[in-house]
Amino acid sequence: MKLARALVIVPYFVLATLPLGWLALTSLKSYDDTISTNATFVPSVDFTPSLDAYRSLSKPVAGTPRDFYHYLGNSVVIALLSTLAAVCLGTLCAYGFSRFRIPGSKDWLFFILSTRFLPPLAVVVPVLVMYRRFGLESTHVGLILLYTSFNLSLATWLMKGFIDEIPQAFEEAALVDGYSRLAAFGRVIVPQATTGMAVTAVFCLISSWNEFGFAMTLNNYEAKTVPVYFAGLQGNIDGVPWPQIAAGMMIFVAPIVLFTVLARKHLLRGVTFGTIKQ
Amino acid sequence: MNLFPLIFNVYLSFTDADLSGGAVRAIGGRNYTVLFSQARYTNALSTTALFVLASVSIELVLGFTLALALRDHLPGKSALLTVLLIPMMLCPVVLSLFWNLILNGHYGVLNQLLGGLHLPQPQWLTDDGLKFASILMVDVWMWTPFMMLISLAGLNAIPKHIYEAAEIDRAGRWLVFRTITLPMCAPLLGLAALLRATDALKQFDLVMAITGPNDATTQTISARIYQVVFRDYKVGLGSAYGVVILVAVIAVATIFVRYIDALNQRTGKARV
Repeated sequence: MKLARALVIVPYFVLATLPLGWLALTSLKSYDDTISTNATFVPSVDFTPSLDAYRSLSKPVAGTPRDFYHYLGNSVVIALLSTLAAVCLGTLCAYGFSRFRIPGSKDWLFFILSTRFLPPLAVVVPVLVMYRRFGLESTHVGLILLYTSFNLSLATWLMKGFIDEIPQAFEEAALVDGYSRLAAFGRVIVPQATTGMAVTAVFCLISSWNEFGFAMTLNNYEAKTVPVYFAGLQGNIDGVPWPQIAAGMMIFVAPIVLFTVLARKHLLRGVTFGTIKQ
Repeated sequence: MNLFPLIFNVYLSFTDADLSGGAVRAIGGRNYTVLFSQARYTNALSTTALFVLASVSIELVLGFTLALALRDHLPGKSALLTVLLIPMMLCPVVLSLFWNLILNGHYGVLNQLLGGLHLPQPQWLTDDGLKFASILMVDVWMWTPFMMLISLAGLNAIPKHIYEAAEIDRAGRWLVFRTITLPMCAPLLGLAALLRATDALKQFDLVMAITGPNDATTQTISARIYQVVFRDYKVGLGSAYGVVILVAVIAVATIFVRYIDALNQRTGKARV
């Protein structure tokens, strides 16, 4: 039985981590090494590792107008602001659903959730037409609004789960003491729900950070995010600059790896919209 | 913000709207007639269906097997799990762009490793028979951890005393698996499969990154919409596709919603 377990886990682990290991190695190589037909694996023995690829990220790659950090900046601004908005609105919304009797609240909640299932490409055309009319195409604000509305469903569902766990007696005590509803929410619920808000923020941040469909179609010029930038480098006339791409990808995925580690206890909740709690 | 696009989408699907502008005329159901009659278009529908079926079932079986192996105590289990879960949290399009380097038929590391083992070195990215499998492989790599995570939750929720009772009754390992483990995990596995199916229906990122939107063997509905709207400028026709995929997604989402509803009621956790 032990052997059977090892036979499942070890090969899968090796195969699953190999691509990420290869990414890290590629970022340390020279261009010629990355497309060599003699693959090299061990730094310092097989090939000379260097940080040149990381250093050259501040210079634009041939064929692109700006350097990597410009696009990273776009990604950061868009992801942070949309996350902030989604978590604030989502917490309020979840509080309402958690504490008040709302006619048809179940249907509303499921309607909110269903917006999360929409494929970006199926709704992008009307959004594009709308954005052109209001001058939001290729702007930071446009993507922030869109990501906020798409993350709101996730935020509401996750936060509702967290707020449901806070005993109602706490705020009832505050209400008896003469606090208004809003003050009770601000002074009792919010401090109790900070973990939940942090977890929700991590998941909203990750989904905005990784989004590609909308970013590609609505935002291909001014406020281009990193995934769209990388996708655009595929057809580079001077050859795909693999070391720089790998170095950029390392920087781009590093925060997400960190967040995954930090939020590991809540991953299950996050990926199932809070429907499974542990 | 969420509702308006849906309604507008249905309206556009009955017009000949063009991305470059110009007058919009209502043309009735002609877009739908075109959509369902041309081979290229129905092809995208069947590619998507095949992709959903294949990816969800492979990931489910693999993820559940992994969960079974990882179920009992293991030194460093928590760290191991975290590492295994990382691929599903990272950006799909960015990682699949990098997979292009791994899968490259000439200098890709996969073929060099296969060559080292004296195995055939197929052209993963250019062979028409393999492109779809390559995309599927990347998707399986990315999303098997998701199935594993939910399967583990299901396995951990099975009360220990049931297994103890089975042991007293001298039930065989296979019998225990078939009559206790599998049925008690089934509700969560169903949930996982439904969640993944709604995601796989949208498949766009991997296709864009690995083969591009206009490849006959891998064109999913989302990729087809991209091609029709942003390369051919046929907004009306693209919207008709949008409506078709929306109907499919809403159907799956409705099943999903009913499903968790029933699940909650059965486990007595109905708080919604």
